[in-house]
Amino acid sequence: MRCAESLRVQAFFDAEIDAVSAADIERHVEHCAECRALLQDLEQVRNVVRRGSGFARTSPQLRAQITRALDTQGGAATAAPEGTEYFSGTPPSDRTAVRKRSQLPGEFASRNWRVRPFWLGAMGGVGGTAVAATLAFLLFVPRPTNPLLDELVSAHGRSLMPAHLIEVVSTDRHTVKPWFAGHADVSPVVADFEPQGYRLVGGRADYVDHQRSAVVVYQHGAHVINVFSWAAGAGTLPDNVTRVGYHLAFWRQGDLEYCAVSDTGWEELLGLVRLLRDLGARDAGNSVPH
Amino acid sequence: MDDRRARFEAQVLPHLDAAYRFARWLLPAPGDADDVLQEAVLRAFRGFDTLRGSDAKAWLLAIVRNCHSTALKQQQRRAFVPLPEENDAQDGYAMTATTPDPENASMRRDEQRTLDRLIAALPEEHRTVLMLREIEEMDYRQIAQVTNVPIGTVMSRLARSRAALKARWLQEVEGEPRAMR
Repeated sequence: MRCAESLRVQAFFDAEIDAVSAADIERHVEHCAECRALLQDLEQVRNVVRRGSGFARTSPQLRAQITRALDTQGGAATAAPEGTEYFSGTPPSDRTAVRKRSQLPGEFASRNWRVRPFWLGAMGGVGGTAVAATLAFLLFVPRPTNPLLDELVSAHGRSLMPAHLIEVVSTDRHTVKPWFAGHADVSPVVADFEPQGYRLVGGRADYVDHQRSAVVVYQHGAHVINVFSWAAGAGTLPDNVTRVGYHLAFWRQGDLEYCAVSDTGWEELLGLVRLLRDLGARDAGNSVPH
Repeated sequence: MDDRRARFEAQVLPHLDAAYRFARWLLPAPGDADDVLQEAVLRAFRGFDTLRGSDAKAWLLAIVRNCHSTALKQQQRRAFVPLPEENDAQDGYAMTATTPDPENASMRRDEQRTLDRLIAALPEEHRTVLMLREIEEMDYRQIAQVTNVPIGTVMSRLARSRAALKARWLQEVEGEPRAMR
């Protein structure tokens, strides 16, 4: 009933396949009506789910409660082996657990890998994935590591904590852009891309690469995208890279260097980068005297 | 605050909202997700040394799933898992309003309630994979890590949940085929 290529078409839709296979799928879709319809359906489901879902957030009360619970843990739990439980399926010890509200038993229930020897062998479970991820991390991160990447990732992480994200709250580029004039050393491209799914929510100043940088903050669905910008230096920009679960996309335009950081998917992050670059190119074109 | 705690707050806590959402998809009934989230964060803190530069978000969500399985096992005596009530849809701390247009707002609220109900009615393993992909925008490898299944299973679950949601949405909202907008 289903076309044998349907899972590959889905992978194509999710940007999970390489360029060669993608070209392959595009050719297939041209003469397979079923897969053409499938692509449409996938797009429709994505639109409905992304448009309609309320993006729940941790309430301040729950956040405070968790912080208090962490406080009671103190610095006592430095025993490294305990942590391995998440990947090995060993029952955790609950000696240090705070269990006031919890009905969670000490028995560690996630043992379903036992009845799935097939993929246990195939993948080695999450532990295997973690090892693979670590290997990939070691292989693909350029060495020596660029401190700029760490700086950007931690600045992004900091911004996600409550009340750290935005200094000027506005969806209006005519408010955000002038604000930078007094608070940062650069004046980046700013625009609201709400119709394309990237809502301008504000800006702030942050230190990157030893200088004040302008950060424009966008909201894409449940995700925050920080677009850092600073005066271009003499060095080369890093390649686009994924660090500890965050994607970093770099580009240079005019006399500024930009980096967009987020835990969106790659294609979603690059979508914003394209919009910003196009806008920057248009602005540059307009400012040239004729 | 000691250094370990500070590193934990910097690397793991930025993903608290994602972990909370994930817990809510696992446990749509209000309140349950809070307990699982708190337990997961405490476990994550105790096992923080195993993180080591890998993907903190996928790691934290995997721990949420583990905590959920633990809780589920204990609750197996229960005959049913309650679905969310209509007015629970907005439970939880809402993100900044995304609909500036009040005329559309009530229509979209209805639509959202329907969508929430349809999503909640999907089997848990389908629901979570779908939301991790579409809302958290995780790639297949991350989803496999969080849900502890192979990538092939992620792909087939994703395909089935998308097809099921589309079919139900058509039935409920559009009333006619091929017009999901």
